[in-house]
Amino acid sequence: MAADASAASPAVAGKQSDARVLLILWIALSIVADLLVGLVLGPHLPPGRASDQAASQQTDFTVLALLATPVVVGVLLYFGWALTFWRKKPGDETDAMPLHGNLKVQATWIIGTAAIVLSLAVYGTVELIVPAGAGAGQGPQPIFKNGLPAAASLTSWTPNSGNILQVQVIGQQWAWTYRYPQFGGFETTQLVLPVGQAVQFNVTSLDVIHSFWAYTLGVKADANPGVNNVAYATPTDTGYFQVRCAELCGIWHGSMYDTGTVMTDANFLAWAQATKTKLAGLTKILPPYALTYDPTTIPAGKINEELGLTSAGGGFYNPADPEQP
Amino acid sequence: MSLPARVVTLVVAFLAVVAGVLWVVFDIIGSQPQTENYTAYAKNGVVDVTMMTTPQTTISNRPDWVSYFIKNPSTGQFDHTTYFAVPANTTVNVTILGYDGCTPLRNPVWGKVSGVVNDTESLQIYNGKTMGAAQSVSTFDSWADCAVQHTFAIPSLGINVPVASPPTVDENNALCAVSPCVGTDPTSGGSPYTVVKFTFKTPSTPGAYHWQCFVPCGGGYVDGNGGPMATPGYMMGQMEVQS
Repeated sequence: MAADASAASPAVAGKQSDARVLLILWIALSIVADLLVGLVLGPHLPPGRASDQAASQQTDFTVLALLATPVVVGVLLYFGWALTFWRKKPGDETDAMPLHGNLKVQATWIIGTAAIVLSLAVYGTVELIVPAGAGAGQGPQPIFKNGLPAAASLTSWTPNSGNILQVQVIGQQWAWTYRYPQFGGFETTQLVLPVGQAVQFNVTSLDVIHSFWAYTLGVKADANPGVNNVAYATPTDTGYFQVRCAELCGIWHGSMYDTGTVMTDANFLAWAQATKTKLAGLTKILPPYALTYDPTTIPAGKINEELGLTSAGGGFYNPADPEQP
Repeated sequence: MSLPARVVTLVVAFLAVVAGVLWVVFDIIGSQPQTENYTAYAKNGVVDVTMMTTPQTTISNRPDWVSYFIKNPSTGQFDHTTYFAVPANTTVNVTILGYDGCTPLRNPVWGKVSGVVNDTESLQIYNGKTMGAAQSVSTFDSWADCAVQHTFAIPSLGINVPVASPPTVDENNALCAVSPCVGTDPTSGGSPYTVVKFTFKTPSTPGAYHWQCFVPCGGGYVDGNGGPMATPGYMMGQMEVQS
């Protein structure tokens, strides 16, 4: 393809003819492949469209696939064409045609790839802003909120009130628990969300690093001990979704999964009130709701103090502790 | 070196590497504690399983590690294992003899009995002299009362049962010193312990369900979750549900 076109030999003319055919084939095949990717494969790409964030991610994957498909088609087409038609003929002992630089090809390649990469950088940045961080953990002070309201109240919540629902995700070896501060601060192993309502996940850990991965909601946020990691999601359909730990966290890491539920607003409120009542006795003995917890210092009771127990089983990376076996 | 000698050397070296890999895979990674199979002992859809917690494991090469033991349904002896098998769709009556002392839960949420019948456990406390009356308990405050020594939890089934600990300082300072603790003859002045009973139903489909303790009782290890907390046969294990 980079041959010097100035030498108008029959061989060069043949190559130019091949180039035209290749270009036409490439355009035609790319259009067909992109139609298949966009219309057939795209709607099935992960993580689905169970939340605004997931839908945005699926759109992003589709866009990337649409851009990559012509490149893949071009490479495979050129590869196949070269293998098929440009093979060395039996008995042909002559040298191949000398190759020289081609400024047009080089410039086209550099400008084209630069344009693709830079446009993707702009596109990716915009997609990170809308919708609200694209489902990723943004640390304790999230930047990408996309107009989502702050928690106007940490003691109550009603749908469509401009008061974002707070759900605290607590990781520990090897289970997730979920705390709902706007419903009395109860803590449960069930993750239930209302449909169509923005949710703010406050993700933290009580021991090692975990990663809260609500796969089909498009949410993924590391759970670090002593750190609050905020991620947003707005579920769009009722049903179930999977939660997994995406950070190798110990021997039962593979078992650290849950099935969450997205309900209608009315059903969610009924569930929250019923769970609040059912767990009232447990909620009383939980520590006050906070964005992070330090289990290395607990309010030791009388027996604890007499036994010399002041922490809940070791500290975070205590230098006095030996390595794991 | 001659060609045959080189070939032989290469083959021997290759076989040695293969043998080493197989030994690591099967003898180290693949090894697991024995399974106490209760399936044959189920009657009318009910089976009884008995376990024990001990403050040390004197019969192992980790004598300072806390551990669970499970009663062998055939011999009646407590074996050092945390693997057991029960039939599917069966009511399991579990009895845990808790010989260890208290440790605060890292997360008090695990002080709630859940996933078992009535979300309660039956608790009796032997103080070294007399056995107390059975009481039904649904929630323990391990921070205020230091009332929990370990938990028996199967997270995927929503089961969590705190194993209560002897409640006084004197009792916590007079714990069983050998393992398993049976043989100290508690009725004649042995070590204090608790008797925790609860009931749950196994799933209708066969499968393997991991269970664990949520008390960070791996003292001296990172976050208290290393050592016995991360080693099969001590404070974690597997319940195999058989068809």
